[in-house]
Parts: sequence; structure tokens; C-alpha cells
Amino acid sequence: MDDGLRAWGFALARLATLVVVGAIVGLSFGHAVTGLALVLAGALAWNYFNLFRLDYWLRDRSTRDAPDSGGVWGDVITQVVRLHRRKRFHKQRLLDVFRELRHSTAAMPDGVVVLNVQSEIVWFNRMAGRLLNLKRRADLGIRITNLVREPDFVRYLQKGDFSDTLQLRRSTDELYLSFQVVPYGGNQRLMLVRDVTRQVALESMRKDFVANASHELRSPLTVITGYLETLDQDEDIEESLRGPLSEMRRQAERMNAIVHDLLELSRLDAKQDEVVGDPIDVGAMMSILRKDVLARPRHPSITLKVDSPGGILGEESEIQSAFSNLVDNAAKYTPPEGRVEVRWWVDDGGEGHFAVSDTGYGISAEHLPRLTERFYRVDSGRSRDTGGSGLGLAIVKHALQHHGASLQIESREGVGSSFTCHFPARRVFVGGRGGNIAVTRATDTGLN
Amino acid sequence: METADLSHHISRRFNEDLERVRTKVLAMGGFVEAQLAKAITSLIEGDSSLGESVAIDDLKVNGMEVSIDEECSRILATRAPAAGDLRVIVAIIKTITDLERIGDEGEKIGLIASRLATMERPENKYREIKHLGRLVSEMVHDSLDAFARMDAEGALKVARRDRLVDEEYEAIHRQCITFMMEDPRTIRRALDVMWVVRSLERIGDHAKNICEYVIYMVYGKDVRHTNLEDVERELQQAKP
Repeated sequence: MDDGLRAWGFALARLATLVVVGAIVGLSFGHAVTGLALVLAGALAWNYFNLFRLDYWLRDRSTRDAPDSGGVWGDVITQVVRLHRRKRFHKQRLLDVFRELRHSTAAMPDGVVVLNVQSEIVWFNRMAGRLLNLKRRADLGIRITNLVREPDFVRYLQKGDFSDTLQLRRSTDELYLSFQVVPYGGNQRLMLVRDVTRQVALESMRKDFVANASHELRSPLTVITGYLETLDQDEDIEESLRGPLSEMRRQAERMNAIVHDLLELSRLDAKQDEVVGDPIDVGAMMSILRKDVLARPRHPSITLKVDSPGGILGEESEIQSAFSNLVDNAAKYTPPEGRVEVRWWVDDGGEGHFAVSDTGYGISAEHLPRLTERFYRVDSGRSRDTGGSGLGLAIVKHALQHHGASLQIESREGVGSSFTCHFPARRVFVGGRGGNIAVTRATDTGLN
Repeated sequence: METADLSHHISRRFNEDLERVRTKVLAMGGFVEAQLAKAITSLIEGDSSLGESVAIDDLKVNGMEVSIDEECSRILATRAPAAGDLRVIVAIIKTITDLERIGDEGEKIGLIASRLATMERPENKYREIKHLGRLVSEMVHDSLDAFARMDAEGALKVARRDRLVDEEYEAIHRQCITFMMEDPRTIRRALDVMWVVRSLERIGDHAKNICEYVIYMVYGKDVRHTNLEDVERELQQAKP
């Protein structure tokens, strides 16, 4: 700042000198006031000239160099130039960051579409444009459902429940797309679109493989079990071979059970939609399941409780295999002195619940989330003893999914477990069997 | 030249009404598209239950047409739209008629598909129908896109593709006649195939009609029954 002050001092001193000189020269001619006026006018003109140059440069500063001037004016111009440079630098850096951000979103491998509250397109990136056939600029402000018209998609957006992703196959190009909507910032919605054609193909290959493999294993197994049965009944067989033979037979039966479960599971897998189904009398099914348990050589005591008459609308074979898996498990993992209780009730909201609780060994908490995975075993030694395939609960889960139902598991080690199936109200009927119940597919067509 | 601009209206409610009915038309369009795709798939893959479900779901298309029709009458009665808005309503009323017919043709294809599924399938697995079906589905899809975007140029491009469909129709026609002459046992199947191809060709015509309504809606020019080249020239001049 010292330099600046010195420049000001110098400028003032120069002005004072000029005034004095002007006054003296004017006095020598006898017109002191005129001399003074001339000098001041000169100084004013010089300042105006500098001001004009500064203004001229500021108006068009991009193409011209800053004016060259000394004294106070020089200082002012230098400061303006410095300010201007700093501003330009920050602006450029901000622009760079912004451009970088836009480029990286645009180059994202997933499609991104920003929607407003009316589902109108606010912005979308390149990938979304390619996957959904959107046109740059022209399509902004158009409702997304007007351009992506697949009925499933329209229904998904209308429903407003975005906890699940939506997967659909575009009829025009046979791509499988997966949609996920994330609400943010009040009413805005971010929609992610991904091309999952490859994953779908892999998934279906995997399913086909499991189904084919288990199917192919079936016939050799039948032959093996057949021979083993004959050998087992053969009187002439050496006594030392009896043990190994019956063990072979047991293992072959176990393999049979696994193949059976695998086939059952791949059959359930193949069906995507919810089943329509017929009325099923849960009470009657429960007494059959009870008989199965009582037929076991060692079994816990079992009690049935049917609180509400009526039952479930669904596919009988699937419900049967789900329930029998649950009851079987309870019977298997409960010692003979324990108790198993099977209960069916309909709550006030019309939802149906099927619960199997036991006083068995129980399952520790860390296993619970993974219990319905295929081949997941809590204790491999124990379940091999009891001859499980490791697929039972996976079957239960899939069968329930087909009926829009969910499975709830509660368990404490050493105390017992309870498995509860919750059926939505539309799947439940109360009262006698059959009657005037008609199940139709949801008639939601995407209008309104 | 005034173009239909939906965004500036004195009455916001009116604007919303128009937009809602347009969205409904496109939802109906989407449903019809899906129906058509299912009908073609059921024929090519020999899936009789899918074909039957298409025939049953055609009722929904009819329901949608009636509901949109009513809404249009209501708008005409209560808002008395003029100029561009009137054209939008008129175009919508015409478009849904064509969409409903596309639905009907889809139903026919579905029914024939479920019958053909029980018969012996030709060696080429209906490849030519698959090709024609794809052409026609794309026409329907793109005509609805043009409708959504109010894109007259796009509509014109789609309308011009109708000639390709006609050529393909002619080719399959001839092929079927050859089959029937070679082996009279295939006559029954060939006749059914002819019906399907005929339906597809009609769907192409309906898609072309929708494109013409789009041009009418945007430019206020009725281009039905005129030469497409003339239309193009006029549109070039009329461009704002």
C-alpha cells in the first residue's frame, strides 16, 4: 500500500507544483486566474483522457491490452487487471469442474433420467438416450410414460412404490432393461436404467442347466436304487456287506430327495407371475400334515389350531409343498419329548397367517438371514443325519412368493423356532370351501 | 403458420386436461403395442395360451377407447377448444379408433396363432411373418413416438415405410400361393397365414393413419388420400 500512497503523494505534489507554476506564469502576464484555470483544465483533460482509455479498454477487454499509464492511473489499471485475471481464473476452474461432472455423468455406463413431479423428463444422459430411444433436447419436458409406453413400466411409475426394481423386455429391440427409481430433493425423481440382457441370458442358462442336470440324474438314480433294493432283499448276500448296502440305499434315497427338490425348485423358478389358483382348505391340509408327522418313527407331539375356517386361494401343490416342508423341519429338529404347534388364523385386516412353532433346538441369530438360501446349512452334520436336501426353505420361499406371501422366521437357540407365512387379504377366503369366490388377475390396465 | 403448442394456456386446468388425455392415449398405445408383440410371439413360438390371453385382453383396449372418447367429448363440451387445441382433440378421437382396430387385428392374430399352434409348423418357423411383424411393430411404435413428440417430420418418415410393408405383404402372398399349389395339404395352414399377414398389413395402414393425424395435429393440414411426396413438399414450404 506504501507504493500506492507514494503515488498519491507524488500526484498531489505534481498538481500543487503545476498550480503554483501556472499561477506564477499567469501572474507574470498579469492574469493569474487565467493561468490557474488553464493549468487546472489541462489536469482535468489529462484525467478524463485516462478515464476514457480505461473505460474503452473495460468495454472490450478481451481483445485489447490494458492501457499503459503512469502514476495513480497506472496503479488503478494494474489493480483492475489483477482482479479481472483472478475472476477469470476462478470462473475457468468452476467451469472445468462442472464440465467434468457433466461428462462423467454422461459417460456413466447406466442410463440416468431426471424426472419432475409430473414424470416429465428434466435431463437424461447419453446412455439413457440410447437405451430408451430418447432424443436430445426435443424430448425434454415430455412425460416419460409417453415415450416408454410398456404397460408394466407405466404401472410401476403410477404405483409410486419404488422399493423393487422393475425388469422388462422391450418389444421393439428385445433388450431386457432394469429400471430403478430413486426419489430425491422433494418431488424430483432419479431413474436409473440398465441393460440386463446379458444377466438375464446367464440366469436363464443357469436355471436350464440345473433343471436339465437334475432331470438327467433321475434315470441313473432310479436304476441304482432299483438294484440296491433287490440286493438288500437277497438272502444269499454276505452278512458283512449288509451294513454298507443299507447305507448305500439310504444315500441313494437322499440323492433322490435332492433331485426331487431341485426339480421342484426349478419348476417354481420358471414361473414368474403370481399364480391365480383355486381355493385350498387349510384345515384339511393341516390334518394330512399331522398324519405325516405321526407316521415318523420318532416324533414330537403335534397340535393343530384352526382359529378361522377357510383358507387360501392358490396353487394347491405349491402350498402343500411349502407347508409340508415347514412342518417336516419342525418335526425333524424337535426331540421326541418336545412339542410342535401348527396354527392358522385370519386377522382383522383379512390377512391369513400359517404358523409352525416348535420347542426344538432353535437356530442362532447369525444364520437367520441366510436360511432360505439354497444348500445353506446351519449345521451340516445334523442335517445330514436327518436326510435334508438343503433346499426345503428355498422351496418354501419361492412357493410363497408366487402367492404374494412372505415368510417370517423367529428363533432362539435352545428354546425353539417359529416359522410364520403371511398371506395378503386378496389370497384369503373365510368360510366354507369353494362358494362364490372368483379370482381374477389384477385388471389394472394403466389407465386413470 | 401456427403450430400446436400445448404449453401456453390461459387456463391451466385445460392444459392439464389435454395433457392427461394425451397421456391416456399413449398408455393405450403402449398396451396395444404390447398386445401386438404378444400376438406375434404367440404365433412364432406356437404358444396357444399366450394367443388366447391376447384375445381376452382386447376387451381392455375397447374399454380404454370408450373412456378416452368420453373424456374428449367432455373437453369439447366444457372447454369449446379452438384452433390447435381443437385439432389435438380431433386427432386423438381419430387415433384411438385406429388403435382400437390395431387391437382387433392383434386379437385376430392371437386367435389364429392359438389354432396354428396345434398344427404342424413350417420348416422356416414363420420367419417371413416374424420379419413383417417386426416392420409393422416398429411402425406402430414410431408413429406413437411421433404422436408423443408432436413430430410431423418423423410421422412422415414412418408413413413412408408403409410401402415396405405392402411389398412384404405381396411377397408372402405369392409365397403362400406357391405352397398351396405345390401341396394341397398345406392349404388350410396357408390360408390362416394369409389372414395373419393381411392383419399385419392392415395394422401398417392404421399406423400410417396415426402418422397422418400427427401431421394434421401439428400443421393443420389434412394429408389423407394424398401423395406423400406432395405432402413433403408442402411441409417444407409450411415450415415456420
